[in-house]
Amino acid sequence: MKFTKLHKYALAVVAVTGIAFGTWVAADTQSPDSGDDLPTLEAMETHVSMQRPHESLPNELTIVPVIKPGEYFVPPKLEDLDDSKYADEVRLGRNIFINTQEYAKRYVGNGLNCANCHLQEGRKPHAAPLWAAYPLYPMYRDKSRQVISFQERLQDCFRFSMNGMAPTLDSREVEALTVYAQWLSTGIPTGTLMAGRGFARIDKTEDPSPFNGAVHYKAYCASCHGDDLMGKKFTNRPGYMFPPLAGPDSYNKGAGMYKVKTCAGFVKANMPLGKSHVLNDDEALDVCVHIFMQDRPWDPRKGMFMSIFMPVTEG
Amino acid sequence: MYVGETGVSYSSIKEVKNMKFQTANRDQAMFKKSLIVALGAMVVALSGCDSKEEKANQAAIQAGQKLAEKGRDAIPGCVACHGAHGEGIAAAGYPRLAGLNAGYIEKQLKDLARELPPAGVAIEAVAKDYSKTPRIYSDLTVFSPGLRHDDIMSPIAKQLSVADIHNLAVYYASLSYTAIPVAADYQVLERGQDLALRGKAEYGLPACVSCHAPDGEGFGADFPPLAGQPSIYIVNQINKWQQGQRDNDNLGLMKAVADQLTDADKLNVAAYYANRSLTVKGQQ
Repeated sequence: MKFTKLHKYALAVVAVTGIAFGTWVAADTQSPDSGDDLPTLEAMETHVSMQRPHESLPNELTIVPVIKPGEYFVPPKLEDLDDSKYADEVRLGRNIFINTQEYAKRYVGNGLNCANCHLQEGRKPHAAPLWAAYPLYPMYRDKSRQVISFQERLQDCFRFSMNGMAPTLDSREVEALTVYAQWLSTGIPTGTLMAGRGFARIDKTEDPSPFNGAVHYKAYCASCHGDDLMGKKFTNRPGYMFPPLAGPDSYNKGAGMYKVKTCAGFVKANMPLGKSHVLNDDEALDVCVHIFMQDRPWDPRKGMFMSIFMPVTEG
Repeated sequence: MYVGETGVSYSSIKEVKNMKFQTANRDQAMFKKSLIVALGAMVVALSGCDSKEEKANQAAIQAGQKLAEKGRDAIPGCVACHGAHGEGIAAAGYPRLAGLNAGYIEKQLKDLARELPPAGVAIEAVAKDYSKTPRIYSDLTVFSPGLRHDDIMSPIAKQLSVADIHNLAVYYASLSYTAIPVAADYQVLERGQDLALRGKAEYGLPACVSCHAPDGEGFGADFPPLAGQPSIYIVNQINKWQQGQRDNDNLGLMKAVADQLTDADKLNVAAYYANRSLTVKGQQ
């Protein structure tokens, strides 16, 4: 048979149709509806085991320090307070400390309370406990480059961490908080470096990665602090149940928690609540870099223009 | 045959690489899908479908009420143990259900219906997003499916359909509740209060209020209320966590807490929360 022009045309048409059909089929098989044989794993979702059961010890071990009795200082109990004027001042100080939004509202510019970082009413070791800080003051502070008193330190807390106005040194709030801190550190000699002061120590072994941080955040933090880091508000009362880690209601860029290493020391030793040391040093740093990259109020030391006229949403 | 460190076998390394492409394609397709769904939802919302949703919710509440009061076939009515208005029976330790979060009730019923795994199966309480994790985990397995066992409740929960569970959850969430404080010794209450508000800071044990809300009224679907629950029920549940009969908490937080509680702690804190007054408004 002779290969005519018509045959050529027919062959071309068939080839073009075939290619088009093939492309269409290939495109179709790439779509998830037809070729979806892999299970989709989504964070915060539950799945049954796909692996054989462990026959020996689990292979992912986390090192959690065991706390021995007497390792950390135990502050006095609130129930043991009497009815004296001093005790009243302690109670007022505690109220301001755990419910700053209500008892010191005029000095606070965001949605936080003191006890959001100084956990368990300022008693938790490695969560900047008051009983470890109070005996060390007055002390030299790099941030202000002078020797400051405990009261002046409280002013800085209001200015930076609470993103508000510093109360005067003789104000009722500063006095009550000082008395509360003094009562918590009952029995500690002045100038003693207590175990558990400040936050945990962080030794990084690799550069922190915000991408890993986002993954860890989603797994460990998002269920309480929200996917957008904005915390979760009460439905039946004002304020936050779980504090915001970013955004206009969080601490500003002058706060100590804005430093990645400080934040990581807090996260490693305290978060998630009750399951501290789930994240190791590097993972805590990752999470804190993720938090560091979010938007928050400006550093008030950068000047009036910056803090008032610059949009908060710029990171 | 390529067996990775993970213990999961792949026929070739190429297949592993293909997996990555597939997930990328799926993400794109998911994005397109979600766009379409969002547009559809907008259209539906604009056309005024709110009343329809309300109607469906009301129908679910009524169906739930019917099932709760009369039961069906071998399913006994919930009212027999949980009270006519979902208030529970404090003396027997049957919990109140009125005013609880619907998501919480739904999850508990599903977990109660689940079979306990055979001995030796490891459960990891933290969900990790492996598809986006840049690291290779040595253990590619398990998210906790949520396990809860109860001799009375598990056989009942296994007979409920998904719709039944939803209806019951919505019905009990819609009920209002006012707690009647139970008197207790003042020393017990003081110790319970100390644990509830401050925990044991020196041992790293967090306070109850830090997750279960300041008055113990609960928060969201993950953190159930403690106030207004029978003290026997609370003690029983902490015991179950310690004994491994309950393992369905968010991130395994409650497991870590329960393991640190002494017998006296349980009694004190349960008495403290049974002593709280509480008013809950049902969510329609």
